[in-house]
Amino acid sequence: MINNTPPAGPASAPEAEPAGGMTRRTAIKALGATLGAAAFAQAIAPLTEWAENMSLDEYLQKHYRELSPFDLGVVMARMEQITKEETGVDVHIGDYRPQPGVKFGYALNLSVCVGCRRCAKACHIENNHDRPSGNSYIRVLEMEKGSLDLAKGRVNYDKPVPHPDKFYMPVQCQQCDKPPCVSVCPVEATWKESDGIVVVDYNWCIGCRYCEAACPYHARRFNWTKPQVPAAEINPDQGYLSNRLRPQGVMEKCTFCLHRSRQGKLPACLEACPTGARVFGNLLDPESEIRWVLKNKRVFVLKEEVGTQPSFFYFFDE
Amino acid sequence: MKGRLILLPLASVVLLALGGQWLLGEAKLGGAREFSAEVVSVGQPAKPTKPAARAEVPPHRPAGYQPKVATGLIDHHGNAVGVACMTCHATKTPNLEAGREGRVPAEFHQKLVYAHGEQSCLSCHNSEDYDALRLADGRKLAFADAQKLCQQCHGPQTRDYLHGSHGGMRGYWDKTKGERTRLTCTDCHDAHAPAYPAWTPVFAPKDGGALQQKAREEKSNHSTTTHDQ
Amino acid sequence: MNNARVAEQFTSYCRFLWKAVCDATDGSWWFYAWMILLTALSLTGLHAWAVQVRDGLIVTGMSDHVSWGLYIANFTFMVGLAAGGVMMVIPAYLYHDHEMHDLTIVGELLAVAAIVMSICFVVVDMGRPERFWHMFPIVGRFNWPVSMLTWDVLVLNGYLGLNLHICGYLLYKRFRCERPNSKWYVPFVYLSIFWAISIHTVTAFLYSGLGGRPLWNTALLAPRFLVTAFIAGPAFIIVLLFILRRFGGVPIAARPVQVLVNIVRVTLLINLLMVASELFTELYAGGAHTASSHYLFFGLHGANALVPWIWSAVAMGIIATVMFLRPGVAGRPVWLTLACVLAFAGIWIEKGMGLIVPAFIPSTLHEIVEYFPSLVEWQIMAGIWAWGLLILTVMLKIALPILRQPHPEENFPTRVCATSPAGNTGGHSHL
Repeated sequence: MINNTPPAGPASAPEAEPAGGMTRRTAIKALGATLGAAAFAQAIAPLTEWAENMSLDEYLQKHYRELSPFDLGVVMARMEQITKEETGVDVHIGDYRPQPGVKFGYALNLSVCVGCRRCAKACHIENNHDRPSGNSYIRVLEMEKGSLDLAKGRVNYDKPVPHPDKFYMPVQCQQCDKPPCVSVCPVEATWKESDGIVVVDYNWCIGCRYCEAACPYHARRFNWTKPQVPAAEINPDQGYLSNRLRPQGVMEKCTFCLHRSRQGKLPACLEACPTGARVFGNLLDPESEIRWVLKNKRVFVLKEEVGTQPSFFYFFDE
Repeated sequence: MKGRLILLPLASVVLLALGGQWLLGEAKLGGAREFSAEVVSVGQPAKPTKPAARAEVPPHRPAGYQPKVATGLIDHHGNAVGVACMTCHATKTPNLEAGREGRVPAEFHQKLVYAHGEQSCLSCHNSEDYDALRLADGRKLAFADAQKLCQQCHGPQTRDYLHGSHGGMRGYWDKTKGERTRLTCTDCHDAHAPAYPAWTPVFAPKDGGALQQKAREEKSNHSTTTHDQ
Repeated sequence: MNNARVAEQFTSYCRFLWKAVCDATDGSWWFYAWMILLTALSLTGLHAWAVQVRDGLIVTGMSDHVSWGLYIANFTFMVGLAAGGVMMVIPAYLYHDHEMHDLTIVGELLAVAAIVMSICFVVVDMGRPERFWHMFPIVGRFNWPVSMLTWDVLVLNGYLGLNLHICGYLLYKRFRCERPNSKWYVPFVYLSIFWAISIHTVTAFLYSGLGGRPLWNTALLAPRFLVTAFIAGPAFIIVLLFILRRFGGVPIAARPVQVLVNIVRVTLLINLLMVASELFTELYAGGAHTASSHYLFFGLHGANALVPWIWSAVAMGIIATVMFLRPGVAGRPVWLTLACVLAFAGIWIEKGMGLIVPAFIPSTLHEIVEYFPSLVEWQIMAGIWAWGLLILTVMLKIALPILRQPHPEENFPTRVCATSPAGNTGGHSHL
């Protein structure tokens, strides 16, 4: 009869069963189990804090594309109420749908951009970005004249701009026609809408960050923590798929300010640009300015060889 | 039996052709077809807008705009007191050489920075009415329409401006839904020294990645800007 | 089966589970010390993860530039280990190697523990782990077949189920002192061979399908993954077999070890060739797409945090290769253990930190932002490793009776089971 205890280690003789039925070994085991259970409860204590802030409705919420207009209205009203409770600010969250006959295009004049970064700042304010990290969907690169090599670009320039030997290239989401971020999302939390904008349902995203790995343009941002915006600075005109206050642990990205552009307005970055380097409009309208640029200027796209077919075009005047 | 034998390869060819065409069709359309949302139209569809190229762009400056010389004084309404150009120039003889080849006015306009090529002051200013300007052929031009002067010589910029790829704007891309205001040339370019001024960049990135790069750049004191691999 | 038999099977299974629990919590003082250590580490990791869920992934060292780090590095490695665990199955079942046969369960149990660890690593990497149900079809949205992650979810869970079934079935039958019915496990074993290849190929495709990440976008990635899996897996199993012999009283014949050594000899050499191939391809012509390789092996513009790591991994790989290639190494347990440890550690570095992290450096906008894991990440990693080892220890402990008995299939049921099928009581098993 082979005992279950390993022969090589110090052998422990099996205890004789006392009358009470409890051996010392069993008592120690019970004590150990109790301590273990206590340690376990202590270990997961932060989770109870976290769970307190979650509502069941929000947890069970369906995907945006499966919500009826009424249900979506209920969801948005709930979000407005939560924002009011947490910040004291009355916000309006709207659901802005794509308009038929519209496909957005954006062009950037690299001869005119001076690198002042006011577009990045306007984006930061318009989209209710986290203040401590200075997050923005736009990243402006100071590039070497004579080269389009991104490796020669710098983001930390602070001398007066434009520097004579440099040109400036803001990069943001390209709203690709073949978006790799959409293909890789395991839960379809991000998709391309009919007007060309690639959107994210913040209440559906599971935060795996596969899309961030897939994007060739560093366009996607992750909420590493809950974004903090001072109440006085919150932009109250919000869209469900764009600039509403995002939760922790989900992805977000530039939406061409769809809460503005789907009402016919210009995006915030364009309005902030003092030189007018940005051109925005409807690619399906042959009389639009964006179409004029595409026809009359020598436009190019970033990383064309990757095959993403961006809707964001760059050009020089000369 | 023979008929059936022919059917099989024929069916395969047909299926292959259809399949290939479907595949090719998918490849052409790329990702766009898969991702169309159910569109619920809000508001009217976008109508073709007026040809932006040929539209009259409303000047940022209202009609009747008149620049005045600042005196630094404030009247009893609290408004700044300005002096109209004709106040002094009515009694002055026009100097056609002023401004040419660096000849600056001997008195007044001392703070004026002039760097606009080889033109004289009176290439644009109207010697017969200093409260107005003049086009190249001598016709009078109101200050509110000053950008027509720029457009006389700067054709490419004018063309770009009228097509929305030069010069700031605010408002609506869809002009059927709302208006758009444009900056005029002189909102950004000082007419006397139009070279675009240097700006101090704002909103320096402060994310961890940018800060890490900044620290590394500062550490390597040869801060050359060409990093060839 | 009529109702009486169903009821009997059910109660028998419950007794089997209870016996498993008892086996898992009974042993020598060394065993208790080991289990307490693993439990403590697991709880530390669990607490760190709870903090991470509450405060967000900002407690890690990841950023929008390097958005995958230690967790996904370990995930990748663990999937390889799980695939490699099946390396014993191939000679045993495809080539009818009877001495291997007895020990295949070790590989399969390793596969179970490794898959559980890889799933844990994915879960701790998620920003919203409670939203896992969004991945289920019908109630959620499962982007299959377009997203490679969905393929990975399917194959990993399938592999887990496969191995749990095989091991569970064999152990349960052993518990009942009945001969296992080959139709209930042999087809699954054959399936697991192909499935093991698929889990790591799919995981490789996750990365190699991304056109925006040049370091990953290579056809060599899937073959490299498989080769490294078939180094790490057998190396771990060799050490595991030695541990079972030393502490578990399991008789290990020389042949299974030799087979595994033969496998690792080949795969180590192939891996060196692949590393050389990558280096040559990247560096001969140069160009922007080689920036990540450059960063990894030589540093880039003053950023060189990973350079010592990768060269250590290369050195470990070369030394391990030399050691493995020595004739007679299979008969020298100490040298062989060292070689296995070197091979294992080298692959962990190369595949983890040396593959996942540098693909993000430089970023897609060519910014060089380095990544340094935070304490929370190390704690969670240690916790998941401890949890995996805990599961493995428990399962091996339960499986010890099978492992201790040579050729158990031929000896069913005439030897060991003196008592009737339903008669085994809880507590110490009587073999």
